[in-house]
Amino acid sequence: MNAQVSTVTALIADDEAPMRELLRARLAAAWPELRIVAEAANGVEAVELGERHRPDIAFLDIRMPGMSGIEAARRLYDRAHIVFATAYDQYALDAFEQGALDYLLKPVSSERLATTCARLRTRMEARQSGQAAPQDIGRQLAQLTTLLEHQGKPARPNYLRWIQAQVGASLRMISTREVLFFQSDEKYTRVQTASAEFLIRKPLKELLDELDPDEFWRVHRSTLVRVDAIAEVARDVRGRHMLKLRNYAGEIEVSRNHTYLFQQM
Amino acid sequence: MRASQINRALDFLRDAFDEASRLWWRFFDWLAVVEWRQLLLTWFLAWVFFIIVNTPEPAFWYTFISFGVKVLAGGKRKAELAARHATVQANVATLERRLMEAQMAALQAQVEPHFLFNTLALIGQLIETDPKEAARVHAHLIEYLRSTLPQMRSRGGATLGRQVELSRAYLAIMQARMKERLQVRFEVPDFLGSAPFPPMMLQTLIENAIKHGLEPKIAGGTVAVRAFVVEATLHVEVCDDGIGIDPHADDGVGLANIRERLQLLYGAAAQLAVSMPAQGGACATITLPYKMMEDA
Repeated sequence: MNAQVSTVTALIADDEAPMRELLRARLAAAWPELRIVAEAANGVEAVELGERHRPDIAFLDIRMPGMSGIEAARRLYDRAHIVFATAYDQYALDAFEQGALDYLLKPVSSERLATTCARLRTRMEARQSGQAAPQDIGRQLAQLTTLLEHQGKPARPNYLRWIQAQVGASLRMISTREVLFFQSDEKYTRVQTASAEFLIRKPLKELLDELDPDEFWRVHRSTLVRVDAIAEVARDVRGRHMLKLRNYAGEIEVSRNHTYLFQQM
Repeated sequence: MRASQINRALDFLRDAFDEASRLWWRFFDWLAVVEWRQLLLTWFLAWVFFIIVNTPEPAFWYTFISFGVKVLAGGKRKAELAARHATVQANVATLERRLMEAQMAALQAQVEPHFLFNTLALIGQLIETDPKEAARVHAHLIEYLRSTLPQMRSRGGATLGRQVELSRAYLAIMQARMKERLQVRFEVPDFLGSAPFPPMMLQTLIENAIKHGLEPKIAGGTVAVRAFVVEATLHVEVCDDGIGIDPHADDGVGLANIRERLQLLYGAAAQLAVSMPAQGGACATITLPYKMMEDA
């Protein structure tokens, strides 16, 4: 400990006020000399206050409105040492361990916080005496972002999941799981669900591009059918393939060049 | 002039041909299902009629063609009808199994670990700073767990009143955490308390409103729960003034499970409708048949 070490400052960001209070109280006990210069309730505020107060350490919650803790960290890490705080998230924990990032598990226990504070103290001293470079975690943060966005699953294209239909003054949101089929109908596209029918302006061709091709199949020039809704495929006496759908009385014709979709295995 | 006349003639021919082919197929379908006894009768009548008008050929052709079609297509058609009957039987069994599976899925794993951890952390912190508030949140948590954990669920929980109580407990906990960022409004008339209402549906809608509507919004907002009866239909509505619905966001297993259970319990008589009002936010409405209660 030498005399020229200035007070270490910190910022706390968490969208839940009781969580901020808890961390503040625990920090006061574990590291009395640490000065909390700012508290932020969301990611945007964290970046703003971080730039204004230039704290040495930033404690960031991961899930925050406006901007996530990771996004905030990407803007702050070159001026503040980042410590993440998270409740229960296996993907995040794995990522922290891999990227050798500092993190706290909420609810923060006194013992765990004491260890983290001891480590932070040595690091801050080393940095102030010029023995250590500031952390360089840009790459880890980028990895963390992709990892958390996909929750460990492989990346999936962003398919359309809700169909919007104007009903009076409000927009009716029809989940693609409700839709039985889409059928183009001159200027409009007809959206059929088990209980209702809607008209939307989006042409069938655009829907075809935006919907998940595993969820909807084109069975006719003018028809897209949700695969899960198909109850059975039958050939009528004329040899045409006709689809019967769950919860729907009518039948859907499969045009000749799409019958390959329903070949027997 | 001549060209337009030809066009008209062609149009007429095409229409006539379409109509003829439609009639032919209708005749075909009829032949496939008609009983032999009835068919014999029509043959007899045809012969009588055409012999009277002294031109027996049409009667001969009619008998010949209809006999041929009946022999060739009738068997296939019968098989189809038998298959359909078998399918109906199988469907009833499947339906019962699906209802059970959907109920199970709704009752399992409803308590998110996030929620539990954060609430316990909150209670831990409040014990130090505000013991009274800690006791209050603690009581709400017990109330919430009692109706959420399948092992603890008591019978007779499937009324709107019980579901509203459960939701109030959950919202009180969320308010203790989100503070002024979460406002709550209930407009549920007392007389609807005894109305039957499936468990864990209102709860799922409220959790969605907070998680997808309000939590991502910096200023937070209001969750409004409304219940009312229009004609013989009970409407239960959960609205928020949050960030609305992203058309590319997955609607999640929660809503799909509600839809599935409503379909299995009430068929076409019940619905879940999601919408975004013009003033912003999102609304989810469950409608199901409402019977006047036989007051005890």
